[in-house]
Amino acid sequence: MVSVGGMTTTLDNLPTTRLKIYKTSPELYEAMMALSNAAAKDVEPELGELIKIRASQINHCAFCLDMHTRDARKHGVSDQKLDVLAAWQEAGDLYTERERAALALTEAVTELGNGHVSDEVYARAAAVFTERELGQVIAMAVTINAWNRINVTIGLEPPRR
Amino acid sequence: MSHRLNLNRVSPEVYEAMVTLSAAAAKDLDPELAELIKIRASQMNHCAFCLDMHSADARGRGISEQKPTLLPAWEEVQAVYTEREQAALALTEEMTDLTRHHVSDKVYARAHAAFSERELGQVIAMALTINAWNRIGVTTRPQLPRH
Repeated sequence: MVSVGGMTTTLDNLPTTRLKIYKTSPELYEAMMALSNAAAKDVEPELGELIKIRASQINHCAFCLDMHTRDARKHGVSDQKLDVLAAWQEAGDLYTERERAALALTEAVTELGNGHVSDEVYARAAAVFTERELGQVIAMAVTINAWNRINVTIGLEPPRR
Repeated sequence: MSHRLNLNRVSPEVYEAMVTLSAAAAKDLDPELAELIKIRASQMNHCAFCLDMHSADARGRGISEQKPTLLPAWEEVQAVYTEREQAALALTEEMTDLTRHHVSDKVYARAHAAFSERELGQVIAMALTINAWNRIGVTTRPQLPRH
């Protein structure tokens, strides 16, 4: 049994409209969980959730948005921060400088098709995070991008509440 | 090309997990097909280090120069690629380009028709794994070796 997005189910019974990928590629789930756990170390959970939600917005992953907005609320992230996240650049100091630097980096890491990770965005993040923290922020952005790709492709649907 | 961050040094567990993920994705996948998936995603994500590495790997595997060279225009030269390669490339492109559109039913169905479910799972795994490496490569900017 696994607990995913507020559902307790088996990997074979996740509500996908397409492929039961964890049945066909069981090593994938294990490897992705190991990657997620590795990426989560030394990143504040609130910051981690903002990274995960912003990438999931850009990548249009409904299941991921549903799961991580719930998780963010559990970690005490305010409704306002969640509501305004897609327009964080317009919201001044609603977000801390560390959050803004991580969000700018997450957006660049997520939108590689539209441009590189600029020196400006990288330098802003390097100024507010230690190298270890920066590595972990990058890892978090990379990892949620991978989950987004899995869940969008297999058609994993959010549970109805 | 300046080097930004050595992820292997600052986040060794992440690096190790990525290597494990790569090994998981490579199982039961034709290595030639895997290289085409990796090169096409790396082109779309503009990862120089990844393109350099996987183009060399493709040559090492004896893939004709024409296949990697024409990859950005594969839809225009369908006779060059098998149906399985085309189906995997179409799926890879949509999985890589999530910001602009979803993974369409048409592209998914084409891949589903060309591969067994096990193979399809591994093709998807390979496409998302190279996407993850691309993001690491572009962000940390490893030194590009000169050949």
